[in-house]
Amino acid sequence: MEINWLQKIGNFGLTLSIVLVYGLLMGAFIERIIAKVQGRIGIPYSQPFINILKNFFKRTAVSHGVMFELGPVFRIAGGVGTLAFIPVIFGSETFSNFSFAGDLMLVIYFMFFGQLGMALGAGESGHPYAAIGIARGLSQMTSYEVPFALAVVAIVIQYDTLSINEIIAAQQGGYQNWTLFTNPIAVAAAMLAFLGMTGYSPFDIFLAPQEIPIGPPTEFHSAYLSLLQANRALFGATKLVLFMNLFFGGATGWVELMIKTWVIYMVAIAVGVAFPRFRVDQSIRFFFRIPTLIGIASIVYVQMVLVR
Amino acid sequence: MVDLLHPLGIYILALGAGFLIPLLYGSSPKLATGLFVTALTGMAVIAGAGFFALAGGAASIEIETAGIAPPFSINLRFGLYESLFVFAVNLAGLLAALHYLPRLREQAATLLLFIIMIMGIDGMVMTRDLFNLFIFIEITSLATYSLIGFEGREDLLSAGFKYIIATSVASTFFLLGTAFIYYQTGTLNIDDIIANQSLISGPVGQVALLLLLTSLLIELKPYPANGWGLDVYETAPGAIASMISVGVSAGVFFALYKVLPLFGDFLTSIAVVGGITFLISNVIGLKQENVKRLLGYSSIGQVGLLVVALALLQKYGQQTHLALIVGGLFINHLLAKAGLFWLAGVVQRERIKDWSSIAGQPLLLLVFGVCLAALIGLPPFPGFWAKWGLVLELAVNNLYGWIALILVGSLLEAAYLFRWFGHALRAGDTAPVTLSVTELMPSAVAAALLAITGYITATHAGVVPLQLFLPLYAAAALFLLDGLPGRFKSLLMIAIVAAGGVWVARDLQGLNLIFGIILVGGGVLMAVATLYRSDARKGFYPLLAGLLLSLTTLLTAQTSLEFFFSWELMTLTSYLLVTLGRDAVKPALPYLLFSLGSAFLILTGFAAAFAATGSTELTALGSVGDAVPVVFSLLALGFIIKAGGFGFHIWLPNAYSEADDDFSAILSAVMSKASIFGLVIVAAHLGVRADIGLDAAYVLGWMGMLTATFGALMAVFQEDLKRLLAYSSMGQLGYIVAGVALMSHLGWVAALYMTVNHFLFKGVLFLAAAGVIYRTGTDLMYKMGGLIKNMPVTFVAVMIAIIAMSGVPPLSGFGGKWMLFNAMMDKGWYWLAAVGFFSSAVAFLYMFRILQTVFLGQRKLEHKDLQEAPAILLAPQVIMLAVIMLLSAYPKLLLDPLSVAIAPYVPGALVWDGWALETHLGYWNAPVIMMIVGGVWVVPLVFLLLVSLTIKVQPVKQFNIVYAAERPHRPEDTHYAYRFFAHYERAIGFLVKPRATAFWSAAGEWSHTLAGSLRIFYTGNGQTYAFFILVYFVALYFANGGTV
Repeated sequence: MEINWLQKIGNFGLTLSIVLVYGLLMGAFIERIIAKVQGRIGIPYSQPFINILKNFFKRTAVSHGVMFELGPVFRIAGGVGTLAFIPVIFGSETFSNFSFAGDLMLVIYFMFFGQLGMALGAGESGHPYAAIGIARGLSQMTSYEVPFALAVVAIVIQYDTLSINEIIAAQQGGYQNWTLFTNPIAVAAAMLAFLGMTGYSPFDIFLAPQEIPIGPPTEFHSAYLSLLQANRALFGATKLVLFMNLFFGGATGWVELMIKTWVIYMVAIAVGVAFPRFRVDQSIRFFFRIPTLIGIASIVYVQMVLVR
Repeated sequence: MVDLLHPLGIYILALGAGFLIPLLYGSSPKLATGLFVTALTGMAVIAGAGFFALAGGAASIEIETAGIAPPFSINLRFGLYESLFVFAVNLAGLLAALHYLPRLREQAATLLLFIIMIMGIDGMVMTRDLFNLFIFIEITSLATYSLIGFEGREDLLSAGFKYIIATSVASTFFLLGTAFIYYQTGTLNIDDIIANQSLISGPVGQVALLLLLTSLLIELKPYPANGWGLDVYETAPGAIASMISVGVSAGVFFALYKVLPLFGDFLTSIAVVGGITFLISNVIGLKQENVKRLLGYSSIGQVGLLVVALALLQKYGQQTHLALIVGGLFINHLLAKAGLFWLAGVVQRERIKDWSSIAGQPLLLLVFGVCLAALIGLPPFPGFWAKWGLVLELAVNNLYGWIALILVGSLLEAAYLFRWFGHALRAGDTAPVTLSVTELMPSAVAAALLAITGYITATHAGVVPLQLFLPLYAAAALFLLDGLPGRFKSLLMIAIVAAGGVWVARDLQGLNLIFGIILVGGGVLMAVATLYRSDARKGFYPLLAGLLLSLTTLLTAQTSLEFFFSWELMTLTSYLLVTLGRDAVKPALPYLLFSLGSAFLILTGFAAAFAATGSTELTALGSVGDAVPVVFSLLALGFIIKAGGFGFHIWLPNAYSEADDDFSAILSAVMSKASIFGLVIVAAHLGVRADIGLDAAYVLGWMGMLTATFGALMAVFQEDLKRLLAYSSMGQLGYIVAGVALMSHLGWVAALYMTVNHFLFKGVLFLAAAGVIYRTGTDLMYKMGGLIKNMPVTFVAVMIAIIAMSGVPPLSGFGGKWMLFNAMMDKGWYWLAAVGFFSSAVAFLYMFRILQTVFLGQRKLEHKDLQEAPAILLAPQVIMLAVIMLLSAYPKLLLDPLSVAIAPYVPGALVWDGWALETHLGYWNAPVIMMIVGGVWVVPLVFLLLVSLTIKVQPVKQFNIVYAAERPHRPEDTHYAYRFFAHYERAIGFLVKPRATAFWSAAGEWSHTLAGSLRIFYTGNGQTYAFFILVYFVALYFANGGTV
């Protein structure tokens, strides 16, 4: 196919900027809501932007080695790359990014890219807590991948395709075609997995934000940290876009995208503010129980009911 | 003109010498001894000349007495089979006599008796008269009794006396039987009796035949009436024991063969007797610690096997096959057993544990190993060809129960024989033994003859020996040059393997060519890495050449026999190579046993295919028809055991981790592909279909994915680097097996693509591990740490290999996972696809662990000045990394040839849109992905570089307070590495409890207990033994329809 690379890259840059800004704003918005719930005022909307810029403009940095410096590079490459392979706005050539290069499997496997590189970068920091945090984070990841994989298999059977564009296309024509309503069991399993993916309570042991600062965010600073913070917003938004595309009918316009992703995110936040944190072995076991059962049920459901 | 080489000369020489020796001994013992040796040599020469003449087509020689024709006189026959047995026994006798000469020459009587014993055996073989047979049996027995006892020790005398009791009872039975037969038929000539068989009828005839049969069987020492035989084996001197084992047994066995036509109704009983003896002797052998008694069990077992073969082939098979199979087994047994008894006689260590005294002596170990390998039926010795023929013949007649019995017995025999060998490989507490050339000579000659007869048998079996035996020639050549310096030998080995491999593989096509590139090219690349060690490494280079070349000949196999030959050769060489590791002898035995078990399953599978098609051509597998599920199940199970399939994997981690580091790389990257090759070739030719249900291929797919999952899970919890990589190999092979099980075009493309990739990844990882272990001196990951500063190239290599292996785009592992997932969804194997996701995720854990615990984190103080791995070890890694990067960007370069190679067997094609691969479900455009990922990676990198130019970046090292937990006085302690996934273990550790290990250990325990309880019949009491013999006869009588 004929690809106008320059235009593609330009369009992708545009998408990236929009999603990044949106991610940061949404982050701020959510923080303010949590603050209200907890009886505080909350941060100003500009705070995430200021954080990134502040870190970026710091005049000194400490480097533990080459891999240390490459860690944030991998991380943000992972975030940006994942977004690059997801069509953001359905039906829009401008905002379909590089989704012609690979399908859903590419996206799922590529999500590990950033995590792996980040883990290596934090490892060279020399701090054992970073390693502990990563060990916990990876272990948790393997377990929430199980219901997610089962849900993905279910929808692949349902829609008979791995192409994200086609999955979105099959969900057009009214909200009753969303996977949410045609295959709610798979969506339930996937949303439970999503709770693990976001890294909010009750699955935030690997960051342990309010207690012992642990893991990668503690070790990085200056420009490194600004890249990580940018990625946090970006990757978070990307995951939301992916879930929206797979389970909630995709978006034909930016406003629709923002509303849907905000609603999905609120689910995770609502759970997060209400529940305390699991211990890491508890969180690992959690996903192997009910969520996996729901995932298995979704495949059975699809095979017996939908594909007849 | 007198024919000096006439067979009658044997008796003339023997009797003449027997007469003269006592006469001369008084005046000149030296002369008497000289006469003794000359007579024996003459007997051997005559027999040998006769054998070669008959083999060349001369007619049998009949010797009549007093010029009167039978049946009125006794006649001797010297036919082809007689000549073989006589030659073999005489030669063995000569060698035994030379071995034992220092003791034999002490008395005239012993010299005389020895020659008479040999003559008696020859007579047993040649005579055609029943009563004459009895006479010769008695002659042999008398000589044997006396020789047993002449050393005069108490245990010897008591054993000899039990021998007398037992054989006297047997002889009595024989005489009674002869009498009754004469009563009914009126003749004593065997040929006449057989011609007038119908006259032997009624209860009298029945009893007569059974008496005769019992007598012959008792002489062959069947279980449970063989306690007396074992006592003799245990106590008698090596030479005498060897003659009883191979000589007397040969004579009695041939006698049984001669009268076998009379026992037409009893063939099943005979087979059962032989089979029980074979199986149970080998079970009991498991518990035996005494060397000679162990050899006794093995002897009795082998004779049992010969009896089984004789009876079953007589009943069901063809005469020519009988000759080849039984003859092959006999020669094998004779040479190997005699060699071992003689070796035991000179090494003179009673317990098998004490055989550590021969450790480190290459020639001794070679002779020892050759004899043992021949006994098990490993190539290239005659026993291999004979066993192949036997199993095929039994399969044609649907006698799978017997096949199982024979193979299980062989496996047990391998267990205790190679346990003994293992003791000989490790230096222990006992003082080393050095043998002179004359002491070693008889056993060495036996070993050499085994090799020669193996070659001859091979030519009879219809294979092309030059090509097939190439690995052995290469190994032999390098063995002779084993005294050269290490690196020189390594270069020589690389040259030989490269040249030999290319020559053998020159005509390969399609699938075989693809595997050829991996096995030959990959093998040579790995072999180059062995240059990093400069020490002598005795035995390593010959064996490695043998292994790599046998992998090559595996590829060129046209028939299942050639395939199996190369397969067993690969098993043998890889076992020996594993034992060369530091502490590897103990884990090598389970490796050998599981490999042999898998080889026996493959043998049975091929036999079943032969039974269905009548041909051993591999392409003929296509016409197996209804038997496809059975054949496929047997073969697939065999291959999957060798690949470390789940449940049969317990040998894998130990063997991989204890073997030499560079050899572990070869085991994992190269040799494991042989199982995949076998699976692919067999499935390709069989034309297996894969549907859901209790379908063999679906089960295979599940086995593959379970192996992948549990291999990954078990790898997560390992502390030892090589064990982790071993479990990882096991897991990755599971994916490949599942891919093959799909039996679809895309599935096979995925499987072969993953095969190539696995070779690359694991090659890099194991070589990198070898480098790290070489520098740090430890295998344990928690003793390392922070090595990224010292070994950056190794780190990069490991990192790229790990990213690729985990399936993260853009590197090549992703393609394999993607294609596998697509293929599984196409087939409707949804659960397997989900399991695959899970095990992929788990694989991340251990991959990250390697990087974190070895290269990142805190460095130990003693590793401060560690150097990078040797360049010769890095070079293959760099090459393989370059290939990985190439394949990641342009997978089409590999996928198209794979698709073309597979298309003849599993029709289909890959659909391309330019560089993008399209399937029914999705699409994958590797070059574009590579560019995009490269782009999104380079941009932040450049950005960061620019930023670092504008700000002040301060590098910190290990003892800076910022680097590690603000604990600068002992940062090396705060390396999180031990029990890295303790939390994971707490959460799901119950999944990886060592259940398989417990199962197999229990199986071993139960076998030992069984062995102990089966010894209940060995009371050590001569009267009890006599009673058992009587009971044996009664049991045989009632078993064959006798009435009270």
